[in-house]
Amino acid sequence: MSSLKRVQQWATFARIWHIYDASWQNPFQSAGLLKKYLMGTYKPIYHPLNDCGDHVVVINSGDIALPGDEWKKRVYFHHTGYPRGASWTLAWQLHKKDPTLVLKKAVYNSMDGNLQRRYTMERLHIYPDANVPADIMKNISNQLATPREVPKRLDHYSEKEVEEFPKIMDYPKNYILR
Amino acid sequence: MSNSHLLMKAGFITSPAQNGVGRYVCQLQRVVLKFCKNNGSSRGVRDFIESDLVNFAKDHPGVVVYLKPRRHRGPVIVAEYLNGEKQHVYCRNFTSEVVSKWLTLLKNQQGNHEGMRLRKMWHTDHPSIQGPWTPYTFREPSLNLAEFPNDKLSSPASLEPSATDRLIEAFKKQQLKELE
Repeated sequence: MSSLKRVQQWATFARIWHIYDASWQNPFQSAGLLKKYLMGTYKPIYHPLNDCGDHVVVINSGDIALPGDEWKKRVYFHHTGYPRGASWTLAWQLHKKDPTLVLKKAVYNSMDGNLQRRYTMERLHIYPDANVPADIMKNISNQLATPREVPKRLDHYSEKEVEEFPKIMDYPKNYILR
Repeated sequence: MSNSHLLMKAGFITSPAQNGVGRYVCQLQRVVLKFCKNNGSSRGVRDFIESDLVNFAKDHPGVVVYLKPRRHRGPVIVAEYLNGEKQHVYCRNFTSEVVSKWLTLLKNQQGNHEGMRLRKMWHTDHPSIQGPWTPYTFREPSLNLAEFPNDKLSSPASLEPSATDRLIEAFKKQQLKELE
């Protein structure tokens, strides 16, 4: 391969590091998005034998939002292999023990159960908060857009913004606020 | 379905020294037709020899045609190419049209690809004019100066304005009207 073609090969098969903020996001919906980038299926050069998957760094996995009753009702089953080794762990219990596991399992279970899955999962880096090691932050060159918009808490609005916001209606003058 | 492709050698289709781009040289060197003079299986070959063979030989002066009548043997066409490869085609019970078609194939080929799985049926020295895709081909240039994590890049691309956005826009319009 000439040196020009070698550089072209490096450019085409370059591995990109993406960052994804998982706060207020549904982990199962996020899994579908992250899977696309981990496997490299968004690339026109994709082939399962091509090793073209990218790295994805997920932050704030401790702030994920499960829909409805899932925190109370979703159960993770594990069997040690030994007799009486079955355990059923609820999602909130698992999240308390390790805040990265719910999202990690969601991504793992969204993938096909083939031999590439374990290797693809190696490229996923999940952090429970925004503290990411400096040498990983240096690599990041792209941010993935979240599927769900993060709502703004009412107490996070500044006083100026509250004053300037258009008032549609107001309490009657005689009304006494408790 | 068959799995014979798994054990075959795989290769790309090639032509020696870009044959056909500039000058075209027919890669078939010689063709040997072996047939029996009166067995029924050689009837098609015999019919071909009587009808189309001379035209074939005249049309392709660069190809040497040999005829070998071999009694009590099955009919075969053996083609030899300029690179030394040989290909034989057993013509038992073929019609003369089929023999003619096989000869055309042997003449048009750039070499013998039997027993090889052709990975692509085409070849080009310039598969891309504008350059192959890289992850940076359709990348937003503003990403080069972005700091990560970035709130603006993280928010989803909103196609429709939300109720809050519409309210704020309506308020701004009202304020502008009041100024006028």
